[in-house]
Amino acid sequence: MTKTTLLGTAALILLGLAGGASAAEPIRIGVVTPLSGTYAPIGQQVRWGLELATKEANAAGGIMGRQIELLFEDEEANPAVATQKAEKLFQVNKVDFLTGTVNSGSTLAVGQLAERNGRLIATTVSFSDAITTDKCSPNVFRVNARAGQQSAALAEWLAKDKPKAKVYYLGPDYEMGRSTVAAFKAAAEKTGAQSTGEVFAPLGSKDYSQYFGQLRAARPSVLYTSTAGNDTVRLLTQMGEYGLLRNLTIVGASGTVTAQNIGAIGKAADGFVTGVGYSAELATPENKAFVAAFRKAYDTAPDLYGADSYGLIGFFKAAVEKAGGTDTDALRKAMEGLSWNTPQGTKTMRAGDHQAVQDMYAVRISSDGTNNRFDVVGTVPGDAAIGPDLCTRF
Amino acid sequence: MPEATTLRTLSDPGRAGPASRLSRLAPVHWLALAFLAAALGFAAAAWATGNGFYLRLATEALIFAGLAMSVDLLLGYTGLLSLGQALYFGLGAYVSALVLRDVAPSFWLAMAAALLAGSVAGLIGGVIANRVKGVYFALITFGLAQVAAKTVYNTRALGASDGLIGIPQIQVGFGPVSLDTADPLSFFLLVLALTVAAYAGLAYLMDAPFGRTLAAIRANEKRVPFLGFNAWRYKLAVYVLAACVAALAGALYPMLRGFVSPELMFFETSGNAVITVIVGGVGTLVGPVVGSLLLTALRSVVGSWTEHHLIVVGVIFMLSVIFLRKGLVGALLARLNRRGESGRTGS
Repeated sequence: MTKTTLLGTAALILLGLAGGASAAEPIRIGVVTPLSGTYAPIGQQVRWGLELATKEANAAGGIMGRQIELLFEDEEANPAVATQKAEKLFQVNKVDFLTGTVNSGSTLAVGQLAERNGRLIATTVSFSDAITTDKCSPNVFRVNARAGQQSAALAEWLAKDKPKAKVYYLGPDYEMGRSTVAAFKAAAEKTGAQSTGEVFAPLGSKDYSQYFGQLRAARPSVLYTSTAGNDTVRLLTQMGEYGLLRNLTIVGASGTVTAQNIGAIGKAADGFVTGVGYSAELATPENKAFVAAFRKAYDTAPDLYGADSYGLIGFFKAAVEKAGGTDTDALRKAMEGLSWNTPQGTKTMRAGDHQAVQDMYAVRISSDGTNNRFDVVGTVPGDAAIGPDLCTRF
Repeated sequence: MPEATTLRTLSDPGRAGPASRLSRLAPVHWLALAFLAAALGFAAAAWATGNGFYLRLATEALIFAGLAMSVDLLLGYTGLLSLGQALYFGLGAYVSALVLRDVAPSFWLAMAAALLAGSVAGLIGGVIANRVKGVYFALITFGLAQVAAKTVYNTRALGASDGLIGIPQIQVGFGPVSLDTADPLSFFLLVLALTVAAYAGLAYLMDAPFGRTLAAIRANEKRVPFLGFNAWRYKLAVYVLAACVAALAGALYPMLRGFVSPELMFFETSGNAVITVIVGGVGTLVGPVVGSLLLTALRSVVGSWTEHHLIVVGVIFMLSVIFLRKGLVGALLARLNRRGESGRTGS
């Protein structure tokens, strides 16, 4: 009895000492991201990017002498789960900032929750234009490039590399697929491309050859597609079998050919071009150091999501130091217009719609069937890709 | 003596006489009352400690308990397994969200619109689904919900995959007084009151001739016409009733969370409701409520602790199917009944 009491007292004293010794409370960042289910690989990159940046920032003394602490919650890529978890982080764990949401529905719902709780969030993954245009929120920031920037960058590259191209569009027949095609079509026509036709195939189509007649009859020099996952695998391999890949440049959305499906596509992916905000092959010293550190820690290369999430910590650190604390209003003011360095180059947070402006890259895949490289073939300056500020709420 | 016991276990013990009927009714309602007391105690404790998060989590659990109750009406009382009850829950949520956002921020109008939408959709869905039986019924309900979910997912006017945000927090008027849905305690008490009302109304209905006919359908549908009842009509009626309960529960969701998204209609939501009913206790009505609170709390706690929380919930589901055939509440009731029996024979 006495022994346990003694031990308890000793532990309490030690705890008290430890509490007194540490300079200050840590700064807590909540991370609501999919750790299970279909989007788990994206959530994994988000987690790795944030953890690596946090480890580096903490080793360099944290933010104004305070260590950064990350608190993870699984959102299951479901807005109904994401809001519940975010509310827990805000109200029970008292986090100072929140990030990690992947699908756009979750980001929008959690953004509204942040408004009602008087906190700020940032997304590093969601690319739906709505988040920083018609559904923008004063409490939501986006540090990654939105869909509009990706298609603008691709259109810009297309205009330079293949002026006045004749473009054909093939998209998956659902809302996101159609809106992605519509966005790129508008951007491409603005830069002088000529549209020769479009077709939408059902999600999960097994046979794309029924569309090849239309495609050939239109005689395009460029095919744009916004299929994803296994649909891309089937589309590109079937086009290869029909000999349609000759004299045709294939371009597409950033999620069309990824590290996950490129193995199955094989040689048919060779020459595919897309517009994105990051490639691990970027030849800047900052990026080389980042990729090396990432590989050392996790034994794999960072992708777009890992890089954007890594850059977020730098953004947050700079904003807190500028604001002198984590007070919501001061932090928001500090974040607006802030420029910071990332492996992707310098990013600037546009004050008008809380959308980060960054250089965009046209990335071409070169593949011999086994080895794949995502080479940067063109850079589009941030200002050329960003598009107008369409946010009217603040 | 041994003959009497056999007879007793074979025939429905509750229907033996007025005295035993009272003692059979009592345990489940006592359990419901105990639950209500616990809920009020929880509310007081959460309010005293200023803990809004847990109140809102409990409110969400009660809302999903409404969905689970509607599954129980079909599964527990009529023997129909619906794998698409989220269709009506999501419908109620979207209707309520659209009314609150675009028409008027009125609680009663939103509930009325959800009820209307739920009954119309339930009637259509019921006519389609009740053409078939057994596993085909389950598949049709599943298919209907998938069709509806995909339609919403691809309809830009309904926010497509992003869902709808910006549902206002509202004042709920009761004549001279009103309460605010933004206040965790008031909204919890409101949803609790609605849950209790739904429980009382449905429990009454299930004990009335309507409910007894449903039980007859569950026991042996082919014999029901020989008793002079049209089984199809009763199945349609209970299907519409379940759709309405689910739609009303769904209508509360955007008031709590301020958004709706197509995920509310996905199979995950329907499947979770079935799991909730089975873990809580099939055919008890209070079981789904207890199950929902338990599983919501569990998901929240275990989810923060490990990303393999789905495995934990899955294991609990399997264990309860193997060891608690009638769910938590069913097992508890069996104990209470046994004690009542032994008490009676002892005295």
